[in-house]
Amino acid sequence: MISLAGRDILHAWGKFIFTGIGLGLLIGVTLTMAGVYRGMVDDGKVLLDNSGANLWVVQKDTLGPYAESSSIPDDLWRSIRTLPGVAEAANVTYLTMQVGRGQKDVRVMVVGIAAGEPGTSGWPPQLVAGRQITRGHYEAVADIATGFRLGDEVNIRRNRYTVVGLTRRMVSSSGDPMVFIPLKDAQEAQFLKDNDAILMQRRRTEANRAFNRPAVPGLLDAVIASQTSNNSVNAVLVRIQPEYSPREVAEPIRRWKRLTVYDRAQMEEILVGKLIATSARQIAMFLVILAVVSAAIVAFIIYTLTMDKIREIAVLKLIGTRNRTIAGMILQQALVLGVIGFVVGKITATFAAPLFPKYVLLTPIDSILGFVAVLVICVLASIVAIRMALKVDPAEAIGG
Amino acid sequence: MRFPRLQRQTLTLVAVIIPLLFLFIYVALRSGPLAPIAVTVSTVESRPIAPALAGMGTVQARFTYKIGPTVAGRVKRLDVHVGDTVKAGQVLGEMDAVDLDDRISAQQAAIKSSEATLRQAAAKEAFAQTQASRYEQLLSVRGTSEETVVTKRQELAVASAVLAASREDIVRLRAELEALRAQRGNLRLVAPVAGLVAVRDADPGTTVVAGQAVVEVIDTASLWVDTRFDQISAEGLATGRPAKIVLRSRRSQGVAGHVLRIEPRADAVTEETLAKIAFDAPPVPLPPLGELAEVTVQLGELPAAPTISNAAIRTVDGQRGVWTLVDGGLTFTPVVLGRSSLDGLVQVVKGLSVGEQVVLYSEKALSAKSRIHIVERLPGVTP
Amino acid sequence: MAAKGIHIEGLSKRYGEGDTAVLALKNVNMQVAPGEVVGLIGPSGSGKSTLLKCLGAVIDPTAGRMVLDDEVIFDDEWKVRDLRALRRDKIGFVFQAPYLIPFLDVTDNVALLPMLAGVGNDEARKRALELLTALDVQHRAKAMPSQLSGGEQQRVAIARGLVNRPPVILADEPTAPLDSVRALSVIRILNDMARRFETAVIVVTHDEKIIPTFRRIYHIRDGVTHEEAGEGRSFQ
Repeated sequence: MISLAGRDILHAWGKFIFTGIGLGLLIGVTLTMAGVYRGMVDDGKVLLDNSGANLWVVQKDTLGPYAESSSIPDDLWRSIRTLPGVAEAANVTYLTMQVGRGQKDVRVMVVGIAAGEPGTSGWPPQLVAGRQITRGHYEAVADIATGFRLGDEVNIRRNRYTVVGLTRRMVSSSGDPMVFIPLKDAQEAQFLKDNDAILMQRRRTEANRAFNRPAVPGLLDAVIASQTSNNSVNAVLVRIQPEYSPREVAEPIRRWKRLTVYDRAQMEEILVGKLIATSARQIAMFLVILAVVSAAIVAFIIYTLTMDKIREIAVLKLIGTRNRTIAGMILQQALVLGVIGFVVGKITATFAAPLFPKYVLLTPIDSILGFVAVLVICVLASIVAIRMALKVDPAEAIGG
Repeated sequence: MRFPRLQRQTLTLVAVIIPLLFLFIYVALRSGPLAPIAVTVSTVESRPIAPALAGMGTVQARFTYKIGPTVAGRVKRLDVHVGDTVKAGQVLGEMDAVDLDDRISAQQAAIKSSEATLRQAAAKEAFAQTQASRYEQLLSVRGTSEETVVTKRQELAVASAVLAASREDIVRLRAELEALRAQRGNLRLVAPVAGLVAVRDADPGTTVVAGQAVVEVIDTASLWVDTRFDQISAEGLATGRPAKIVLRSRRSQGVAGHVLRIEPRADAVTEETLAKIAFDAPPVPLPPLGELAEVTVQLGELPAAPTISNAAIRTVDGQRGVWTLVDGGLTFTPVVLGRSSLDGLVQVVKGLSVGEQVVLYSEKALSAKSRIHIVERLPGVTP
Repeated sequence: MAAKGIHIEGLSKRYGEGDTAVLALKNVNMQVAPGEVVGLIGPSGSGKSTLLKCLGAVIDPTAGRMVLDDEVIFDDEWKVRDLRALRRDKIGFVFQAPYLIPFLDVTDNVALLPMLAGVGNDEARKRALELLTALDVQHRAKAMPSQLSGGEQQRVAIARGLVNRPPVILADEPTAPLDSVRALSVIRILNDMARRFETAVIVVTHDEKIIPTFRRIYHIRDGVTHEEAGEGRSFQ
């Protein structure tokens, strides 16, 4: 027995390929959409991975440094460091802001990293160019997505930083590229608004009789000095000793230091479960719509292809072709269309992914699921056409 | 006619399908998690490094003279302005005397009055002296009674005492006058050293409390940079080390200096070591006090040792080390790091030997099972 | 009664029920012997198409008796269930338009029927080629239907109708789109084939050019057939 579907496809291959490519573009969009979601989740995960921490110590009853603002004293790490099971504790600050380079500015997350040597929690775990920060001030390691290059001078608040290293895929949970600067600079950057704001605050303080007393010289200076220093950080990153479990180490901090501590799983839950939950649902809706649209289009294409062949089907039936053979022909054509569409879609999505401003992660499991979904959709879509083909009266062939 | 057509159709189909399939396979293998990770490698070299410390500081004057009155009062005149150069002993201004001159006049009058009283007491004492010696002679010739002589002696003693009291009174009054005069002289604000007027806090007519500075004079020869170094990287900081000072307003040029002293007290809150860096020669023009300066202290050059870039350092399971390339596979080698230089080179004390290949840059985190792809430069990085 | 060829007695077909019922065939009698070519002529609305569908085993008649190649297809007690297999194995169709499958080449268009009947691909193609040779279109065996001329297409269609050696061939206006030379050639082929393969051939037509060629003609009018002798003119 020859393959009727195969012969038909070979006969009209141009139509099939072009329809498949059209469908493929749609499938590509769907895969990319899934990739956008995976990218968002991955943004959260690399953020946690790159911090190199096992525990995040944050202000009591806040949702960590990423999802909510948190502020704790910057000398707290010392008491945490002395707790049993703690291998390393490092201050860290996170601040999302606009950073200027020349005329343009870029939205970045400025990470203040504790002084130390490369490998300390919070430091970029690997670079793609340049070197790690060695000076305690005014050096920066920037993500390549910022567009900065080695040796660039960038403005953060009123200080200029030299870019000495570049990273890749160091992003905040919302996909903003990171810029790493020394902690002390970051604390200052987080506090400093701009020179005007400082001047105005200074003037307000001066106008306050309580601080500006003629009989107490020096009081005003002391007050202003205390206003312009910032001894807070957003979180303490804790790396635990291998023989301890995160729970064991977290418990005394939670109980005795009266702080909130998150471990990796909880942090992921916050980032993936809370921070991007709405966006994820948004994308899920899009996926559903795209799946329905794809199904409708496949159904429509298969229906049209079958409609074109109604006479041939009547003849086939008249000369004794089994219904199964005819249904199989339509089904095979739908599946072939789906396979062409999937291949084109996968290729399109892969080449389109790097063009997106945010990270698009195409995972093999998504591709496999997508492939299965495409085949299922094709099968479902061909049902209409098959039903119609089976209803064709063989008598139609006899000019009646 | 028959065969070519079919063949052409098949060939065109193949021509479309094959590239699509190749693309698909390429896409499946070369992108996403299955793709090999691009890395660059570098060789461990033996080289000397010159460690240096970087710190931030502000320009300060070592000696600042805050000049003001010792008693509360009103500023009468002030001859200098901010930025004026002054000499040692130069009068900078004066406080208002208010009633001090009148009190001096009154004191002088009181002294004169006391002198008159003294003269009177001296006359009385001389008369009592004369009377007393006359009655002594009369008694020796029995010309008068014993009792009268005793009376005269007592009168002489009283007169002597009154005279002595009057004399001391004058001494007191003169001392008081001197005190008033000293105070009068102290109203002048005098520069103790040659220097530069940095602050002028009050203008004539302002009332100031005792001890409040009216003018601040700095010793220009004593400018230094009050510098803070992170404790964690302050190893090797020592007095006398040469330093390069870059002022914020003059970023292009550095000024030579040296470590003058390391403060015995560190800043416990900010975890910084404090040090004073003196200029080898005062910069011209003088930088404003409080200006930010970047200080780089050169430490002695260390002997050659295996050296890597700090970009090669990774942390795996809490251990610091590097990924070494052995027979094309990756091995994580824990290392003990030594001193590092500001340009990112770090010496390896233990764990690596010269000539080993280590992964320098990588696109993403590596593991021992990672498939790698060695490149000259990572994609996306412009030279 | 069993016989080769096709035998129809008292066949009737009613569409619908009750008051609206239409009796399309009232009393149709017809006998075609193997190797014989008969004409079936009737105006539009005469029940010609209904008779053709009954003959083609596409629809069941309401009453009567139909015997095909020694097998009772339909009578009052019995009817064949698997009409599809019946059509495939016992009846060859030749249509007004050739209705070739456009995506199969000429050989496979013909070979498809034996393949559907379970014959192996090579054997089916061999049979097809034999027939194509017999019909003198073997030189177009690898061409696609769209590349053939009208006459060639019709010959291929006849080949397809014959390939399973059916005892009956139903030809529905096989000559309508053809000029008289080609039309006569088709009729000649049908006659040749009928003789060669011992096939009963029923040609439904109202083509004046070919009517004189039949020896026997059935006229159908208002659902009733009348048999008459044709001219039986030979075709040069």
